[in-house]
Amino acid sequence: MSQYSDDDYSHEDDSEMEDEDEEDEYEPRSSRKGRSGKKRGRSNSDSDGRRGSKKKSSGSAFIDWEVEVDDDVEDDDDDVDVEDGKQQLKFGDFSLCFIVSGEADLPNEDSDHRRQYYQRGFHPHEEDVDELEKRTLERLSTKYAKDDYELDDVNDVDQQALLPSVRDPKLWLVKCAIGREREVAVCLMQKIVDRGSEFKIRSAIALDHLQNYVYIEADMEAHVKEAIKGMRNIYANQKILLVPIKEMTAVLSVESKAIDLSRDSWVRMKLGIYKGDLAQVVDVDNVRKRVTVKLIPRIDLQALANKLEGTENVKKKAFAPPPRFMNIDEARELHIRVEHRRDPMTGDYFENIGGMLFKDGFLYKKVSTKSIAAQNVTPTFDELERFKRPNENGEIDFVDESTLFANRKKGHFMKGDAVIVIKGDLKNLKGWIEKVDEENVLIRSEMKDLPNPIAVNGRELCKYFEPGNFVKVVSGIHEGGTGMIVKVDQHMLIILSDTTKEHICVFADHVAKSAEVTKGVTKIGDYELHDLVILSDFSFGVILKLDSEAIQILKGVPDSSEVSIVKASEIKYKIWKKINVQDRYKNVVAVKDVVRVIEGPSKGKQGPVVQIYKGVLFIHDRHNLEHTGFICTRCSSCVLAGGNFKTPALVPPSPRRFQRADMGYNPGAGGRHQGGRGRRGDDHLVGTYVKIRLGPFKGYSGRLVEVKDKLVRVELEAKIVTVERKAISDMTDNVVATPQYNMGSQTPMHPSRTPLHPCMTPMRHSGATPIHDGMRTPMRGRAWNPYMPMSPPRDNWEDGNPGSWGTSPYEAATPGSDWGSSTPGRSSYRDAGTPINNANAPSPMTPSSTSYLPTTPGGQAMTPGTDLDVMSLDIGGDAETRFIPGILVNVHKAGEDRNPGVIRDVLPDGSCVVALGHRGEGETIRATQNKVSLVCPKKNERVKILGGKYCGSTAKVIGEDGQDGIVKLDESLDIKILKLTILAKLVHE
Amino acid sequence: MGSAPAQIPTSFGHELRACLRCRLVKTYDQFRDAGCENCPFFKMEEDHERIVEVTTPNFNGIISVMDPSRSWAARWLRIGKFAPGCYTLAVSEPLPEEMQHLCQEERVQYVLPKRM
Repeated sequence: MSQYSDDDYSHEDDSEMEDEDEEDEYEPRSSRKGRSGKKRGRSNSDSDGRRGSKKKSSGSAFIDWEVEVDDDVEDDDDDVDVEDGKQQLKFGDFSLCFIVSGEADLPNEDSDHRRQYYQRGFHPHEEDVDELEKRTLERLSTKYAKDDYELDDVNDVDQQALLPSVRDPKLWLVKCAIGREREVAVCLMQKIVDRGSEFKIRSAIALDHLQNYVYIEADMEAHVKEAIKGMRNIYANQKILLVPIKEMTAVLSVESKAIDLSRDSWVRMKLGIYKGDLAQVVDVDNVRKRVTVKLIPRIDLQALANKLEGTENVKKKAFAPPPRFMNIDEARELHIRVEHRRDPMTGDYFENIGGMLFKDGFLYKKVSTKSIAAQNVTPTFDELERFKRPNENGEIDFVDESTLFANRKKGHFMKGDAVIVIKGDLKNLKGWIEKVDEENVLIRSEMKDLPNPIAVNGRELCKYFEPGNFVKVVSGIHEGGTGMIVKVDQHMLIILSDTTKEHICVFADHVAKSAEVTKGVTKIGDYELHDLVILSDFSFGVILKLDSEAIQILKGVPDSSEVSIVKASEIKYKIWKKINVQDRYKNVVAVKDVVRVIEGPSKGKQGPVVQIYKGVLFIHDRHNLEHTGFICTRCSSCVLAGGNFKTPALVPPSPRRFQRADMGYNPGAGGRHQGGRGRRGDDHLVGTYVKIRLGPFKGYSGRLVEVKDKLVRVELEAKIVTVERKAISDMTDNVVATPQYNMGSQTPMHPSRTPLHPCMTPMRHSGATPIHDGMRTPMRGRAWNPYMPMSPPRDNWEDGNPGSWGTSPYEAATPGSDWGSSTPGRSSYRDAGTPINNANAPSPMTPSSTSYLPTTPGGQAMTPGTDLDVMSLDIGGDAETRFIPGILVNVHKAGEDRNPGVIRDVLPDGSCVVALGHRGEGETIRATQNKVSLVCPKKNERVKILGGKYCGSTAKVIGEDGQDGIVKLDESLDIKILKLTILAKLVHE
Repeated sequence: MGSAPAQIPTSFGHELRACLRCRLVKTYDQFRDAGCENCPFFKMEEDHERIVEVTTPNFNGIISVMDPSRSWAARWLRIGKFAPGCYTLAVSEPLPEEMQHLCQEERVQYVLPKRM
């Protein structure tokens, strides 16, 4: 309309010229008309508007302007009139014809339909008018309903227009016999058809999900009553309820449960011995509502043979045979008749045994669609693995990944997720999610030539991860676990679990990126990970793994390492009691003591005792890859480690040893002195100067006067107070330790990890206190004793969370230090790879400086006179590591904190020319190598590798795992795991 | 009542099938014998294999439309222009593509079922 009026105005200005124009244009216009007249209505071009204005002025004021398109049409007609009377007549006929038919047959027809009709009828294609006319007439002769339906362009807006109003008939709820709803609806239909227009009901609705009722649509309740009178299954005397207008649409909006039974989709059986089993749809017969599924047969061949022979009565089996692939040869051996037949429908060959069809070991079973569950079927990894069985040709049937994605939850993809296209033309395209719509996901890819963003169907996408990513499993049986991806195989990921240190296979779909570290599920009901439990058969064991379905238990059978998987209900109770036992040499062993296994299959293993029961020890050796490191052994096969106590000793025992063992193996346990062990060796604390770190006396320092279990009494400079033992730290140690370990700066590296080991920090400080001055004795003993394996604290280091302990490596790895290479025992410790923190104490004899020295047996013990200040060891495991110019280091100067600096040059004598400052902007000094330590690289930082095979290469740190750094080599982009101690942070330049 | 009613289903059980285009519900046999009243171009009575293609046993709910033009429910379900008869409220499967093309050729509208 508006356009018309605009045009009107614009053309009224030069209306005088119009007649002329008309004359001038007559010829060209008529010719144009013949060619493209049909186009005009669609395009509403300027010329149309112009013609409209002309026509108006030429006296067609009768035209009803309400219907603009009609006008347009008439306008055309008029023009045609001018040009060709015959044509005009035909159009006129046509429109008349239409209107007549419309009015006669379609009383409810509104002008909208007509308008659409015109539009479509006139302008669908470029074709001859004659042709159009012919076709139009043809169409008019066919059933009207068809044509009208065609015009129903269904969209939501149109649907809105159909919302019920007060003028519409109402829906009445009528009670009927249960299960007869459809019948009632159909019978009502039949009744009305038979009896003609006697009844005034409009429709009857039977919903599948509503039993006992049907809806009847009528204007009045009386009409309903009339219609249902005499109906067998309708309770006519029951009250008829009116459905409120607002609820009418809800009645009709049934959710058509799309039974998406397509080939290759995964289903679960609902009935019989295969109940719960995974099956794959092979064929769907929608007519008979049956599907052919492929599953792993649960057939007891012997029983089958007996049955077929008729020797044994068919008994109802108490349990289903385990799923196993059918072995035809085995069946033949049992004289089971196997027919090799060709299926006439599919043309495939099947082995037919007693009516069951087998192919490639799978059972092909025809079942009713009702006996399978297709909703929310998520096959587990193991199940799918089992389905991957090579067929006759040795090919592995390709399991289409996309079949797995049918049951994704909403919100599966999030903005920013890295994804890969797994299907279609864009297969293997990687990108990031921009936006998630209902079905489609907009992704942004790196490809330059592609338009960004691209809309991809969510089903064609899979989350994408790279090795080194830390992820959390968000669904499936491993749900809750975290770990690092070590391998990506299409949509399968192999993850090194944080909990078990085992590889787990999961679908990329089931994980999400996460910096979190969890132990998976650590508690179910009353049972926690590593609890000692008694099973229903009175055997006992330690819980190794808990998940929602099963509990894995290492049985308390010495040296057998038998693991059983039980249900929570099979556990009788858990044992709280902590018992002490004696080792081979009658040393008392308690929980948390470190023992070494000296005989049996686990010989040589060692670790802290986790549980003790009936003379059986459960030891946790983190180097043991089986059973998450747990070993079960007899107490008599073990010796208490960490000293020579009551062993064929060379050196008299030292009471401190226990202390060491205790602290060394119990990094995260908070109160280390709990349980039986606390008292021993505490006396040495008395007399030391401590500083109180927590509580109301925080900051006070004083002399320790008494040790009482968890409490100590400290004589402050002012007075003696009682504080918790945890709350103190050795003053001398503290002074050094705080800057040294610089925990504060480390924490942000692994924000999610640190909280897991909250007690790490205090441990270091306070832990150091009790041992320091007593350490010498065992140390020396150890140094002399070649039988002593690695010293326990080493484990401590490795157990330590990589974040908070990360500082350690950079104090290490200083080859060529004054005394390091002269250590006799050193070589034997190499593999241990113990990072030594350099206690930068003022005097070698200072207790604190030796705090951590148990790990440096050779050097420390041998060189009491050595300048401990400069102590550092080559313990890198990768042998010699040498400083290289360009790396960031910390320089230690006596009496000062560490100063960062950049190595500018390494002199032949091993000392370095270091430019102070993070970028080497400060003064240049010369420092001996032992005053220089590496700066531990953090994630995403560039490093130079100082030792090993990749010595000299640069890399980027992509993660850390304990003492190891995960790095991506710049050259090959390979991912390597290297000791942090040989990774030197590069300077940003 | 505008036009002649479609066949009324002779049973109420599993034999029932719904036309994927117009949603008319009849038994298989009825489709075979008389085809679909609203969609004669499918020619089911001539080509029996087509019955399986264009009808489905999976449908949800039945509505008997006695007076399609004056029934709100029929209009709401967009079956108001069809012959009186028993219809279903919804089918979940789409018409096979080949058949959709046939609809196009016949210039009849086909609306894909809404995915829930």
